[in-house]
Amino acid sequence: MNHVVTCQNSKCLHCIKCLKSCPTDAISIVDNQVIINEDKCIHCDVCIKICSERVLKVHSGHISETLHEHSYNIALIPTSLLSDFRSFEEFQKICQAILRLGFDQLEQYSDIEGFLYKKSLEESNQKDGLWLTSFCPTINELIEKNYPTLYERILPYDYPVEIAARRIRKKYQDRDIGIYSLCECVGKMTLAKKPYGNMDSAIDYALSISHVFPKMNKLKDDIKLPISINKYGIKSNVEDLYGNRSLSVIRVEGLNQSQSLLELIEFDRIHRVNLAAMYACYQGCIGGYYLWSNPFEGSFNIKSMLDQCTSEIIQLDEDEYLFNRQLNHREIKSMKERMAWFTKVNEILESLPQFDCGACGFANCRSLAQAIAEGKVDNLACRVKRR
Amino acid sequence: MKKTYEVQKDNYEDAGQVSRDIKQILKTLEIDSKVLKRVSIACYEAEINLVIHSDGGIVTLEIDDDGIIYLNFDDVGPGIPNIDLAMTPGYSTASQQAREFGFGAGMGLDNMRNCSTTFHMTSTSNGTHLRMSFQ
Repeated sequence: MNHVVTCQNSKCLHCIKCLKSCPTDAISIVDNQVIINEDKCIHCDVCIKICSERVLKVHSGHISETLHEHSYNIALIPTSLLSDFRSFEEFQKICQAILRLGFDQLEQYSDIEGFLYKKSLEESNQKDGLWLTSFCPTINELIEKNYPTLYERILPYDYPVEIAARRIRKKYQDRDIGIYSLCECVGKMTLAKKPYGNMDSAIDYALSISHVFPKMNKLKDDIKLPISINKYGIKSNVEDLYGNRSLSVIRVEGLNQSQSLLELIEFDRIHRVNLAAMYACYQGCIGGYYLWSNPFEGSFNIKSMLDQCTSEIIQLDEDEYLFNRQLNHREIKSMKERMAWFTKVNEILESLPQFDCGACGFANCRSLAQAIAEGKVDNLACRVKRR
Repeated sequence: MKKTYEVQKDNYEDAGQVSRDIKQILKTLEIDSKVLKRVSIACYEAEINLVIHSDGGIVTLEIDDDGIIYLNFDDVGPGIPNIDLAMTPGYSTASQQAREFGFGAGMGLDNMRNCSTTFHMTSTSNGTHLRMSFQ
């Protein structure tokens, strides 16, 4: 399996900040090696942000190494990129600069976002019960891994960027094309490498915006690329209609608040809401890790460009956007074996202080107890017991 | 395995914590998500009932080797005068205030009975005892 977030160990201080901050306890440090458990990681950006030595990274490809692999290269740019500019003209200039990096064509997918956004509002209003939207890869992974009872409540739409890439593939099926996704966040980087449901991605390469920004900024001049953006695409990025009371739609931002809402939905406590749009970042995609403006300022910027967004909304066929999500079937042991394992771990856990300090290199005492039960570390790993 | 929890009367701040812990245990045990869903809903309803209506009590989670889950809610009073009436969908003794918070729709007991595989309840003025199983 491809590791998305990796640790460049040479400068790592093994300080445990990452493993203590991880919202899903996916990180451990054993023998001075940072280990990220892909089965638990939801590809948010919390560990990357908290690391004082900046050793946790998502590998972003180098276009200089890959552009020659295909005869025609297309870059997909995210709508949230607009939030980093004060005017639409500035954005068009940067788009021209992105082309100059060596791409043959630039594509945006705000029209697809806009279509899915309207669709999700309509559909959740017609269907019974509470539905969850699926634009944030991190939230989807969170639900898949930690809230399995709610998995079937995710609206069955594919990601706009994947739909856009597939449409391009179809359009240029006779040509040797390379599709690059410029990403505003870690979750979207993940998507290109390891899309949902282990399906193949139509995207060839993922690049972080901050990785290519220095180069494109140097290439920028007064020439503008006549690119147009759909206003509903922008509206799907800022809160706008999400919050319209007559639609019974709420927008939830931040991992903590999303987790707390998901808890309540699991207890069947949310009755008046038809659609919950959840984002791991504040202000949704505008809060993506690779964008540099403050998300609230960015949201202000992007809203000020609504009048200049003139492109028409797209109409997609169902087979283009519907996506039948299925939980990965893992092999599950018999109940007896699971109970025996649970009891074994609990017995070890009882012998530990349960301070969850993390000094042993595991996020909490339960994780350490599991590692002891698996024979990965010995009983002496607990530093509190030895003090 | 067996685990017990104490629930305090009128403690709205911590209401739901027991259900969260139980849900987490069941997830760790990789209980089937359809069963997990039913247990979660019934457990939360019953826990909130203890907080709102009872004088406090004990919640016990038991799981046997076949994976059958038992939840016991044993409070110390004041008891339900007429269980049949209390089970009627829509019947509620909750205050207007509790209803404004979204509680007390009168569906709780009916909901619990629908979620559980077996549902057994007795009540005297000394306390109400509810035992549900799930499989």
